[in-house]
Amino acid sequence: MPPSFVEDRRKAALEVFESQPLPTWRRSGFWTTTLRRLRLDELEPRRYEPLDELPEIVRQDLGDEEHAGLIVQRGASVVYTHVADERITMMPLEQAVEERADLVEEYFAKRLPYDEGKFPAATAAFWTGGVFVHVPKDVQLERPIQVVWLIDEPDTAQYAHTLAVVGEFAECKIREYFVAPDLEGQALHAGAFELYALPGSHVNLAHYQDWGAGEVYDVSTRRVEIRRDAQVKWVPIHLGGHLTKQTLDIVTAEKGSDMRHTGMYFTERDEHLDLFSTDKHEEGHTTGDTVWKGALTGDSRASYEGLIHIVPGASETDTYLQTHQMLLSPKAKGDAIPSLIVEVDNVKASHGGTVGELDEEQIFYMMTRGLSRTEAVRVLVEGYFEEVVQRLEDPGLEALVRRRIAEKLRGAEQQVRDFVAERAEAA
Amino acid sequence: MTLEIRNLHVRTEEREILHGVDLVVKRGETHALMGPNGSGKSTLANTLMGNPVYEITEGRILLDGEDLTEADPDERAKAGLFMAFQYPATIPGVSVANFLRMALNAKRDEPIKVKEFGRVLGDSMDLLRIDRDFTSRYLNEGFSGGEKKRAEILQLAVLEPDFAVLDETDSGLDIDALRIVADGVNRMREPERGFLIITHYARLLGYVRPDFVHIMLDGRIVREGGPELADELEDKGYEWVREEVAAGAS
Repeated sequence: MPPSFVEDRRKAALEVFESQPLPTWRRSGFWTTTLRRLRLDELEPRRYEPLDELPEIVRQDLGDEEHAGLIVQRGASVVYTHVADERITMMPLEQAVEERADLVEEYFAKRLPYDEGKFPAATAAFWTGGVFVHVPKDVQLERPIQVVWLIDEPDTAQYAHTLAVVGEFAECKIREYFVAPDLEGQALHAGAFELYALPGSHVNLAHYQDWGAGEVYDVSTRRVEIRRDAQVKWVPIHLGGHLTKQTLDIVTAEKGSDMRHTGMYFTERDEHLDLFSTDKHEEGHTTGDTVWKGALTGDSRASYEGLIHIVPGASETDTYLQTHQMLLSPKAKGDAIPSLIVEVDNVKASHGGTVGELDEEQIFYMMTRGLSRTEAVRVLVEGYFEEVVQRLEDPGLEALVRRRIAEKLRGAEQQVRDFVAERAEAA
Repeated sequence: MTLEIRNLHVRTEEREILHGVDLVVKRGETHALMGPNGSGKSTLANTLMGNPVYEITEGRILLDGEDLTEADPDERAKAGLFMAFQYPATIPGVSVANFLRMALNAKRDEPIKVKEFGRVLGDSMDLLRIDRDFTSRYLNEGFSGGEKKRAEILQLAVLEPDFAVLDETDSGLDIDALRIVADGVNRMREPERGFLIITHYARLLGYVRPDFVHIMLDGRIVREGGPELADELEDKGYEWVREEVAAGAS
């Protein structure tokens, strides 16, 4: 019998879930994210038996890199668990609430209230399997901790929860992969992720999302808390998903904590991406640096809104946020909005943003060196993302992201060429 | 074997800038094109490379008889033309070495071998006294004015074009950097290669002695001569040319 802190939360969350309609997110201007085409009632949390071998799609993405620990959740079930480094605890969250109740109870949902909306409530009420990671004090991991969320059948609803606690002065890399083949039909991933980086720890965190060309909805909330003198480098990568609505928050909670938040997205076809990130400084003498870069092709829609929030009392905070967006098709529509809420004096906080198209001057320059227009565009887009890719500090994952960027560009080659030619003519 | 510019008329959206320019650069020759700011020198350089900002309304550009008037910039590069930019673009995320290898491969049937590329790049860097770690930096990102100019000349040295246009490469260089760049250019001068050096000042021409000097004023070439013309210009200034032209016209 699971402990009451889990069960009570499920019950309370279920009430919230049932009392709320499907949400629509509207912002000033043209932007609306709606789930009206999502047939939530027809999706089910599919259960699977454990696997002896990793599914092909997972093997492809992970490569042959060795890990400290790996958990794969397929649909509603954890199907593969392998812990290579015995210093860490890594197991399904369902198991951890029983076996490591002491640790789980202290941190579970600490920064994830179930009543923030219909989907946070759904995740809190329905999560199964789940992932628990604990890296004890002073442990330094060379190899990454890997978590894979796999949806490989249509009509699947996956309610996910990952809880990661990195102990004092511990150092590690944590990667979550969100993958699906090109599904025929709908699926939902409703996820919750929380990381607590305890004092003095260093965490290199990445989220790699590539839900394929199927109709996968992803409505998730991810929160990172950074304690005294700890540092988290967080790199969210969005490379595919029919509709993605995510809240990504990173909090410097105590003095001396530092966040490096570097994200990217590349949307295509009729994909719809809506990201809202908050860099929240709850204490003074904290630092932050956020860079988000996006590119859009096809009829896709992508909105990134990034907020720096410095609360009263958090003086001597030094933080910066940049957003960039590159349109590669005449039909794509995008928005990149940086904003600031500063409730204290004596801080350094600034932001900047660009929404642009390919720079003709750069293309001309590269063509004078013998590169064709198509090559020039490819090199520019790859170079544009390179700053983000390198922050992964993980050769295997970097190679995967570069490969996918190149594939997407090849897929969009003709429309990008038309777009650039059209613009050249207009100019 | 020549670069021929015949009766070139060029305009932007707003106005005509070049009003019929004729210029012939043979292989093995170094020509200087001088003129005050706004006379149309950079427009000519950009038009030679096919910058889409400029429209050719009349006239032709020929390279060894091949008509490049309508060619795309990459076709011109492959035909043997090169320009060192006055204000080169920044290419984030692409290292100097990577960019050079792509540019070199664009002109070749087979991609260059890693070892051979290393040698070619190393030789050119020695020539221009460039530090090794320079090539791992992103092209022109955070470069000083002098570094940008050197990166342009490095590309010239690695790509070995038949005809090179240097657009105000001397501007913004201190005297040491100017000497290094001039040295590099002088070593690139050979019977099979033509140079068109565009400059406002005669300073660079003290180091890279041209065979011919052309002076441009208001979109026309108004005076031509040997290297002594650059010296005369240095003494008397552009006002002298302007007065001479006005006197000649009246």
